[in-house]
Amino acid sequence: MEYIEIDEYHHLMSPIHQWDPRAKIVSILTLIFSVVLLYDLELAALGLIFAVILLLISKIPLKFVMWHLRWVVLFILPFFLIMPFAVLEGDITVNPEGFEYAFLILIKAISAVILIFPMIGTMRFNSTAKALERLKIPNKIVQMIIFTYRYIFVFIDEFSDISRSLDSRGFRRRTNMHTIRTLGKAIGMLFVKSYERSERVYNAMCSRGYTGNLKTFDKFEMMRNDWVKMFIVMGMAIGLHLLHFIYFMEMI
Amino acid sequence: MRKAISVSDLNYKYPDGTLALKDVSMDIFEGESVALIGPNGAGKSTFLLHLNGVLKEGDGAVKIFGNEIHDRNIHEIRRKVGIVFQDPDDQLFMPTVFDDVAFGPINLGLGKDEVERRVKVALEKVGLSGYEDRSPHHLSFGEKKRASFATVLSMEPDILVLDEPTSNLDPKSRSELINTIKELNDDGKTIITATHDLNAVPDIAGRVYVLDKTIVAQGTTREVFEDLDLLRKINLDVPEVVRLFEVLRCFGYDYENLPLSIEEAISHLTQAIESEGGHIHLHIHEHTHERLSRTKEWHNHHTVKKSGK
Repeated sequence: MEYIEIDEYHHLMSPIHQWDPRAKIVSILTLIFSVVLLYDLELAALGLIFAVILLLISKIPLKFVMWHLRWVVLFILPFFLIMPFAVLEGDITVNPEGFEYAFLILIKAISAVILIFPMIGTMRFNSTAKALERLKIPNKIVQMIIFTYRYIFVFIDEFSDISRSLDSRGFRRRTNMHTIRTLGKAIGMLFVKSYERSERVYNAMCSRGYTGNLKTFDKFEMMRNDWVKMFIVMGMAIGLHLLHFIYFMEMI
Repeated sequence: MRKAISVSDLNYKYPDGTLALKDVSMDIFEGESVALIGPNGAGKSTFLLHLNGVLKEGDGAVKIFGNEIHDRNIHEIRRKVGIVFQDPDDQLFMPTVFDDVAFGPINLGLGKDEVERRVKVALEKVGLSGYEDRSPHHLSFGEKKRASFATVLSMEPDILVLDEPTSNLDPKSRSELINTIKELNDDGKTIITATHDLNAVPDIAGRVYVLDKTIVAQGTTREVFEDLDLLRKINLDVPEVVRLFEVLRCFGYDYENLPLSIEEAISHLTQAIESEGGHIHLHIHEHTHERLSRTKEWHNHHTVKKSGK
């Protein structure tokens, strides 16, 4: 079974791969928030450039990123239809300013998603989980992330088993009630299976002394390089808003 | 010898009221390896979950080294009794093999060095050294199974509870796992194994309990496998070797100590041939056909059902 995995390229060597996971998450997450909070097309474009630079440094193949980006674009496209009508000045009119807003949303979304790749695509998923734990993210949330990641593959397998068993008994997906009803039942079955599995996993955890907290070990250590990289990316994040501020002052 | 596990009159009903276990009693002594066999739905897994207090029904019916299981000593009990579950995907839930094997020891509050030492030892024991950084979902089924053994071994339990350890394994993985179980028993672990794999039972267990909601038979492995009628009545069978010797008996080969495994069969036949002056004697006598057809009858009983004739 082939899975599409976010950490598929964790084995590459790049300055971003060699960055301390905690510093990487904090810095890039700051940059993501910084870009998302911009209200200026030019600055957002600059944010996109930063994102692409980080992506290029990380050496993650563009094809891999594009493949994932298509969903984002698909999700944003309707805004180009909605936004021109949404900027209302009295009557319903087509407002060209709306396109600008739609563009802004698109650029910010693409930048944010691109930045996800250098952030969590450059290390093993377990490093991400450990870094989150070390960053004092509530343990319950870290556990939810770990379990989601671990069992998503089991569910993919289980669903493809169900799907194959339907296919081998002559089931064909059409647009009719029978198809919907059958798939509904199959998905329902998956829920039942997950529920039962969660009980068994919980039993297995209790058997090994689980008391509600998940602890792991790591070998994280912040070196001078890690701080330098953090300084640069944080600088990008703060810089974008400084520029915005200067721009705004000039306007006055 | 100390009693490692002592169960007296354990009763359990599923939440929907179905009776799962009825008056189950069992004594397992320190250092023993015992098999628990029974048909599908006999309550084997349910029974095993009582051994470390995951299921708590009945009042002090289960004692571990003489101690009843309470909420107060539940962690102590779980340190002593390690359960390896049937589906390794239920047992391996951490992002890496290391984290998974370390999960138990960390919960015991051990220091980093001790945890690392235990992970190393446990992975060595199951032959998975070097797998520390692998993700469980990338392992083969056999590797997952061995990894789930390691997750329990790292807690250094005195009692190992194994639920269908050999199910779904290819022959090589199966025999490796059987060897691991034997080694663990030699190391002094008390082991209780629930299994359908009757061919493996003589290798891994000295005594057998037969469970079908209640204990229907118990004894040494040989005693239990000699009681063919009982086993077949509850949809079980005997190891292939035993069946072969059943056939040999129809041809007039008489024996006292029924061999249960290939090793035993080899030494048994060697001995017989040597004492009979270089050969064994098989012949067709007046009862051979009658006996053979009786032996086959039961076997056919299976196949007829299968082919629907």
